[in-house]
Amino acid sequence: MSGGFPPSVETAGTTIQAIEEGMDGPQGFGRRRLLRYLLGFSVISSIAIVVTPIVGFLIPTKTTNGAAGGRVAAGTLDTLPVGSGEVVAVGSKPAIVVNTTAGVKAYSAICTHLGCIVAWDGAANAIVCPCHDGHFNPLTGAVISGPPPAPLPALTTVVEGSDIFIVTG
Amino acid sequence: MTNEVRSGELPGGMTGWVERRLQLGPFINAALHVPIPRDAKTFYFGGITLFLFGIQVVTGTLLALYYSPTPEAAYESVLSITSDVSFGWLIRSIHHWAANLMILFLALHVLRIFVQAAYKYPRELTWIVGGGLLLITIGFGFTGYLLPWDQRAYWATVVGTEIAGDVPVIGPSLLLLLRGGAEVSEATLSRFFGIHVLVLPLLIGGLIAIHLLFVHQQGLANPKYPEPRPGRPAPARPPERLKPFFPDYILDEVIAWYAILAALVILASLFPAGLEPKADPLVTPEHIKPEWYFLAVYQLLKLVPEEAGVIAPIALVLVIVVLPLLDRNQEVRPRRRPIAIFCALLLLVALAVLTYFGGRI
Repeated sequence: MSGGFPPSVETAGTTIQAIEEGMDGPQGFGRRRLLRYLLGFSVISSIAIVVTPIVGFLIPTKTTNGAAGGRVAAGTLDTLPVGSGEVVAVGSKPAIVVNTTAGVKAYSAICTHLGCIVAWDGAANAIVCPCHDGHFNPLTGAVISGPPPAPLPALTTVVEGSDIFIVTG
Repeated sequence: MTNEVRSGELPGGMTGWVERRLQLGPFINAALHVPIPRDAKTFYFGGITLFLFGIQVVTGTLLALYYSPTPEAAYESVLSITSDVSFGWLIRSIHHWAANLMILFLALHVLRIFVQAAYKYPRELTWIVGGGLLLITIGFGFTGYLLPWDQRAYWATVVGTEIAGDVPVIGPSLLLLLRGGAEVSEATLSRFFGIHVLVLPLLIGGLIAIHLLFVHQQGLANPKYPEPRPGRPAPARPPERLKPFFPDYILDEVIAWYAILAALVILASLFPAGLEPKADPLVTPEHIKPEWYFLAVYQLLKLVPEEAGVIAPIALVLVIVVLPLLDRNQEVRPRRRPIAIFCALLLLVALAVLTYFGGRI
């Protein structure tokens, strides 16, 4: 009899019989083998019982960004003239707002390369990552040069009077 | 050369691979294959205490991952562990209950050793090291109690450190050293956290290793017959009946550990660790009381002058620690040690009465 695990009901019945008969050879399920399975099952169950709450405990709880939806003030046209840009906080994440000739643009300020925070470089007229000198186009967020693999994700901006808002959510 | 001979008998697979490199076999054999007296009745108290300490290491490490030891954030982090983190309430409650059970089983272990006179020759040093383990465990309870930074924690620590300040001669310095300043403050919390998670675990780890080494070297005491002492006639005793430590004793021990684990989960589920309002140094709540194992001292301080109430427990602990050096009686059976047993009973009754009245509001 091949000793599959877990044993089927029929197998279990045979097992009890095998134990009663003291069969312990390759033909019988064998008392020693059954005990080994039971021990293995107990050990694995015990580990599962202990590890489950530990793993659950270690998984971080979801944190709110502080801006689940709505508009976040991101400066004014007076403080952000054409040709300038600045990093602002949107909830717990940074965004870069740039006042370009084609209007106010906003992007995630987290570099797509290795997560550094990008900055506005007026002289180069580009969004620049200080870590590995990645350059992004202020009009589209596209990579101009450097190692970043993807453009900066664009955010929606709204200008009311001279107030600039980033729309989230 | 012996290695060459033995390597022929080595098991295959991973075990053999490791064994060929490290030759751990003799070490493991020496640690596990020890005969123990069949008459030895340990009730597994020491092993259970060790198991509870293991639980404290695991749950304490987990809690430290979320806990912030500052007055501004400590309370909120404990609140967050309890209500936000998955299984946080369970881990924290098990830490709380395992701490209490550890003190209880340590006390039972001490009592068992005392009643069976297992502290006598040749085991005096094991007992003295055990005394150190008892003090460190109480230190764990005292320092851990402040960490949730709720009203109960804060004011129990104010009172507790105040009591330490009444120790003759070194009291004021001890108070300053414990609190890290004149008041229970941010400095106290940092100190207690550092002591609780670093200093005491290192100390207790070392002492547990020494304690177990001594127990292993001397074996378990036979509660019926004293050990033969050098220079004295050996007492008449029948040949020792033995049983293997592994797997017989270990299996029983593991069963006891499973029972304790089940008890812990039940206690943590039915009576989870609570949290009072956040510590307010300007408002002392009514009926502030320490943990149950400090209640006897707490009650004693109400009845006797402050210095006596502080000196008496210290003197008692000292006498208990050096007991093997004071008690020279060779007998081990309780009925042949009436004075020792009577003193212990008197002490137990006194502690029980003081704890009972200390616990009443």
